[in-house]
Amino acid sequence: MEIIIAVAAVALIALFLITQYNRLIRLNITVDEAWAQIEVQLKRRADLIPNLVETVKGYATHEQSTFDAVVTARAKATSATGVADVAAADGMLTQALRGLLAVAEAYPDLKASSNFLSLQEELATTENKVAFSRQFYNDNVRSLNTAVKTIPSSFFTGLAKVGEREFYEVEDPQDRKAPNVKF
Amino acid sequence: MNFRTMQAANRRKTFGLLMGMGILMWCVVYASLTYFGGSTAGIVPIAVGIALISVWGSYYGSDKLVLTMTGAKLIQESDNPKLFGLIHEIIIASGMPMPKVAIVVDSAPNAFATGRNPEHALIAFTTGILDAMDRDQLQGVIAHEMAHVANRDTLVSAVAATTAGAIAIVSDMLTRMMFFGGRRDNNGNGNPIALVFSLIILILAPIAAIMLKSAISRKRESLADATAVSFTRNPAGLRSALEILASDSTVVQQRSTAVAHIWIESPLDSKSVSKLFSTHPPIQERIAVLKSMESLS
Repeated sequence: MEIIIAVAAVALIALFLITQYNRLIRLNITVDEAWAQIEVQLKRRADLIPNLVETVKGYATHEQSTFDAVVTARAKATSATGVADVAAADGMLTQALRGLLAVAEAYPDLKASSNFLSLQEELATTENKVAFSRQFYNDNVRSLNTAVKTIPSSFFTGLAKVGEREFYEVEDPQDRKAPNVKF
Repeated sequence: MNFRTMQAANRRKTFGLLMGMGILMWCVVYASLTYFGGSTAGIVPIAVGIALISVWGSYYGSDKLVLTMTGAKLIQESDNPKLFGLIHEIIIASGMPMPKVAIVVDSAPNAFATGRNPEHALIAFTTGILDAMDRDQLQGVIAHEMAHVANRDTLVSAVAATTAGAIAIVSDMLTRMMFFGGRRDNNGNGNPIALVFSLIILILAPIAAIMLKSAISRKRESLADATAVSFTRNPAGLRSALEILASDSTVVQQRSTAVAHIWIESPLDSKSVSKLFSTHPPIQERIAVLKSMESLS
């Protein structure tokens, strides 16, 4: 009888250890997958840009500085590595693209061209996908970091070689324009 | 309330209602044993079996079955790249697999989701909803449908339908027995008050089961609205989509009550059905909840 109880106790403890370990590993893999998704969407957006710039150039010839800003931002975005760098380059490119679309507003012929319209729709959906993959990544980082910091899973971080991960934070100048509250 | 507390509250309420369904089932069994004696105990597993077989088939094949019942046609990415782009956005936001997509040719704006699990999910839209809504609104609708898939609402409604069905079968069988055979338990020591109570339970149980089933369906709709917001973080999109549905008086052509609960807006005339029996919360109430979430962000 005592043997059965002892075996059951050991089995329960082993089960507990395995679940805790696996949970950390699973959370970490989900974060990796979410990160891969961000990169896929950023790549998609980068691939759209040359076509978009060419189309806008066809109608708006005197906006060289805007085009240059987009091309520079794109080059930076495609060469960036590491969460913080990629996020910063992503923010800059988003900003430059906003400038490009604002320029397009001034050219009715461009806005009416079917090529531009389909590119605009594709850019809109890609921007949303980038934003959603960012949100999904950050949600998963939040669960992982919570698990890494809270008991009992925090005891297993060394064994599973899993640590806290970095949030994907985009610097958006538009967010800074929030009104200041004064008392 | 933000969407996280909303989700938790709705899950808790669904659980409570499913428990209520279980208690109701237990009451029916108790009542039948009190009224007819131990000889009726065999009826319950038979009734559960019949209900399980009839519901399980439609649950397992729900994606294909609903296609034929609603006349929806499956489409590919090339048929509507814009719609697929929007669906991809929600797929990324929710981390779920890509569902099958179908179109129902109908001018009434509506949409639904079905499928036994996320891998066999199907979401469908009427041509009316695709014409009537802009990007953000359609995104809200897609998020609501994918939320049904993520919350496994086909399974929840199958469980509710099975229990309600079993209760209906048991009380139907017993009412017939009452009519033909009377009480089998003739030892005459039954408490008259318990007998009257048992009779009332047997008569009222099927109605109570339908009301519980509808209440579960309403809670799942509210939950899907909250989960949709957790995907898009944009309550305004779904809110204005619901406003369009509320202002639109046309309803989907085929009014099969069997599939009424799966649409985003009930295709049945809500004015003629009491709130206790409706499968959806009042649309104005859903709009008000989403508005309160907007004011948070």
